[in-house]
Amino acid sequence: MQPHDDDHGHAKTTVQDDPPPSYYEVMETSVRELLVEKEVIGADEIRHMLEVMDSRTPALGAKIVARAWVDPEFKARLLANGRTACEELGIDFFEDTQFLVLENTEKVHNLLVCTLCSCYPREILGLPPDWYKQKPYRARAVKEPRALLAEFGTVIPDDVEIRVNDSTAMLRYMVLPQRPEGTENFTEEQLASLVTRDAMIGIVRANTPNRKEQSR
Amino acid sequence: MPQTARRKTKPSIHVVHAIGEEPIFKAGDSVRISVRYPVGHYRVPTYIRGKRGRVEAVIEPRAVNNEEEGFGRNAGLKRHYYRIAIPLTELWPKYSGSPYDGLRIEVFETWLERN
Amino acid sequence: MNGTENLVKRLPTEMGGLDAGPVQRVEHEYAPWEKRCHALANVLDIHKIINTEEKRRGIEALGAEMVEKLTYYERWIVAFANILFQKEILTPEELAKKMEEVAARHQGAQHNE
Repeated sequence: MQPHDDDHGHAKTTVQDDPPPSYYEVMETSVRELLVEKEVIGADEIRHMLEVMDSRTPALGAKIVARAWVDPEFKARLLANGRTACEELGIDFFEDTQFLVLENTEKVHNLLVCTLCSCYPREILGLPPDWYKQKPYRARAVKEPRALLAEFGTVIPDDVEIRVNDSTAMLRYMVLPQRPEGTENFTEEQLASLVTRDAMIGIVRANTPNRKEQSR
Repeated sequence: MPQTARRKTKPSIHVVHAIGEEPIFKAGDSVRISVRYPVGHYRVPTYIRGKRGRVEAVIEPRAVNNEEEGFGRNAGLKRHYYRIAIPLTELWPKYSGSPYDGLRIEVFETWLERN
Repeated sequence: MNGTENLVKRLPTEMGGLDAGPVQRVEHEYAPWEKRCHALANVLDIHKIINTEEKRRGIEALGAEMVEKLTYYERWIVAFANILFQKEILTPEELAKKMEEVAARHQGAQHNE
């Protein structure tokens, strides 16, 4: 247990049950404590930033997608300027980040990748899955996107154009998946529940309503 | 010609733009990614160097060169980034998907040449 | 001519187009220290002490072996240490001493049980 660690009230067993912190965890703790001691950063800043980070989950993205599906004018604003449209819903961004929402249609399927590092729309979706940051995905997405999509169970017909978006600068992307069939009477909340993180990366489509829901 | 013949609806303002303020390229332009090999940090992947594509959009506003930013240089001449479309068949000679499949990538102005 | 130019010309972190196997659908729950490391990155960026590009360059500069063998946030924290030394915000000696102290806390607590 680090003395300066705010673990939001996790019930902890005795310290000797904890594995020792790794070399890198010791490094992180040490860097942080030194920076606070030297007043380079404030004592509460890390904890506050953790709260900001915890508040960013794929549920935010799903909400944006569902709103775009039901409200054509919001969708138009979203596609024209992703950042200001998200700010309408109370979702803010860091610094100079720009946000471009990419619409999947009958004709075009978008996929996101960062081949140089791990750029990802963290303000909207939270932290990315490991596979997004690892070599196989980052190597193959720009070279064989159809095979990669198929590995995730997503088959894109040959007459649909695939656009692979490789983030290299200050633009962050999110995919606006196609609205599934059979959802005409769905509420915004119900629609949002069909939208997964992976659908907003573009590696899968949004979920279709299952039979059980349709009979409601 | 008398002034009235050239009347415009708003007064014209003549501004001399600073270097780099006007985008050099516009949407639809054919471009080629430059070929060079910076030692150390770069933000233009090697797999697109020398490849040809099309400007899909000019990204606003102008911004600093992110390759220089990596050395802690936050200030400096700002130029435009461009969203470039490059067909996957241009990138990979053996590409077997649809010929319409393409890459979209942001590239800083100093890495683009007119094609 | 020893053919090592490609090590210099292509960054160890660049993956686009390389040959690779199937995607491993791994997802691990982020450890608290990893999240704190990410929070630290954001705070340093906001303070304009280490911007995102500097962080990327710092990770690239670790070189191919470390990039391959250290995990994602392990790379970040080592890169931060290096950059903070370069900017004379921390010294290697004070970090080393602090790390000894922090590591000893766990051992010390164990002995006190």
